[in-house]
Amino acid sequence: MDLKSVLVGIFALTFHSTKKLLLGKKVIIAFLVALFVAAVMGYAGHMSDVPLEDGTNLMDTLILFFFMPVMAMIFGSSLIRDEIDDKSITHIATAPLDRAFSYLGYYLPLGIAVAVSMVAISSVGMLAFFGQHGVGSEALEIYVEFIALVVIGSFVYSSLFLMISVLFPKPVMVGLFYAFIWEGFIGSLPGVIQNASIKHYLRSVGSGWVDFGSISRWDEASGATGSAVLLLCLTVFFLVLGAYIFREKELA
Amino acid sequence: MTAHENGPAPIIQAHALSKWYGQVIGLNSFALRVMPGITGIVGPNGSGKSTFFKVALGLVKPNAGSISVLGKNPWKNSDLHTSIGFCPDYESLPADSTGREYLTLVGRLHMMHGTELSKRIQETVQLVDMGKAIDRKTGGYSKGMKQRMKIAGALLHDPELLILDEPLSGTDPLVRKDIIDLIKRLNKEQGHDIIVSSHVLFEIERMTHNVALVYRGRAVAAGDISEIRNLIDRHPHNIIIEGERTTALAKLLLDQDYVVSVAFNDNKDSVTVQVSKPDDFFNGLPALIETAMCSVNKMYSLDDNLEAVFRYLVGR
Repeated sequence: MDLKSVLVGIFALTFHSTKKLLLGKKVIIAFLVALFVAAVMGYAGHMSDVPLEDGTNLMDTLILFFFMPVMAMIFGSSLIRDEIDDKSITHIATAPLDRAFSYLGYYLPLGIAVAVSMVAISSVGMLAFFGQHGVGSEALEIYVEFIALVVIGSFVYSSLFLMISVLFPKPVMVGLFYAFIWEGFIGSLPGVIQNASIKHYLRSVGSGWVDFGSISRWDEASGATGSAVLLLCLTVFFLVLGAYIFREKELA
Repeated sequence: MTAHENGPAPIIQAHALSKWYGQVIGLNSFALRVMPGITGIVGPNGSGKSTFFKVALGLVKPNAGSISVLGKNPWKNSDLHTSIGFCPDYESLPADSTGREYLTLVGRLHMMHGTELSKRIQETVQLVDMGKAIDRKTGGYSKGMKQRMKIAGALLHDPELLILDEPLSGTDPLVRKDIIDLIKRLNKEQGHDIIVSSHVLFEIERMTHNVALVYRGRAVAAGDISEIRNLIDRHPHNIIIEGERTTALAKLLLDQDYVVSVAFNDNKDSVTVQVSKPDDFFNGLPALIETAMCSVNKMYSLDDNLEAVFRYLVGR
């Protein structure tokens, strides 16, 4: 099979799955999360005397710390498993596209859908908060930096949760455990144990970029460049492992 | 499907193929050669037909044995899918897509695009008579429409081999006739080799004379349907005769060498006769009825159902 044929196949699957994800029921969850974030950040913005500090802290805690892994888990942890269970994966499994490439055709739309949702949620939160204080250049800078972080986070977490969706028969349970227990709890413990979470490295990258809030003064942050390289390596590792598992998987 | 040394190569060749899922055996030393043309795979539900197809498509890996499809090993061989079209027996159409969207995805996954794809979609939906419903959501299709659309998906890339798993399942008689005619046409006019499964022998008979009988994970018989019928005829048949003075007839039947046993049923005017040579039985019966001076109101075989036929063939 030549490269052009592979790219046509990946594009077809990416287009199909992106549409399915962005027009599916899970978007309702993203909408509700956006409403929640708007309410919390809107109220916080109304009460804040130091908006740049408070706004940055909220974006860090609410968006990067909590909703980033949760949204990726919601979109990704059952993406392939659902298609295996309802057998709609048949037309993909019987297509002349190597399953490793088909896997990529699931990953790209997942990353896009999570990124689009998180950018929308972040934008709503930022507007709700800074809209009350005027969106100056510093607020805009914070916005751009966090948008970059959620886009990176979307593709890293998507690679992890997609791998979980092909590795485990009950991926949602594993995803919930990872998003809430591992990322939420282990990732916030003091000491080096928190280095075992994706969130630590994502926030470390943010620590090197953002000039406001506690994230900018975070003592336990790893180096920004090293963290970015590690996140890239993790993404590639999860992708390769997931593609290998998917290729070896029996689709009975 | 007798192999001819100088004849065409088999489409599928399975040898000692076994597949099990935990404690459940899907295929058990399954051996079969499928030659070009239409081949019917007949067997009761759970006999291993779908597992055989999944192995042939490379969706599952056999635990033992070997299989070649169009001369290639199907496991992890996605290139082979350019030559195979598959219509599964389960719901596989994405309910939130229209027929056109589904076919477009299938076409693109088979590296078709642009006007070539649009033209082919149009041709295919006309072939399966789904032109009017192509822009409707597949979730609203009737069972027959879904079957046609699945066949369209299997046909779209014009494959050499079509594997149709229970395409008649759940359809009404009119749709069945249409699908049977379509399958025959696809072979005769379009030149596709077709493997079609069913658990109803006579439905397969309407499409082809090449039949393989599958039971409990094994291909218990394969060949021309007349050969299979002969094979079936070599096994004892249970025939029930109902009428008057059947006791006299029973006595005469016991003297015949083709009769294995005679048993009276609860109704004394009804006897069950087990015969080893059905043809001899049916030929000789009129004379015996006349000699016994009895009358027969009703006569039927218990062995018309496929399960009984399979039990004969595996000696149970």
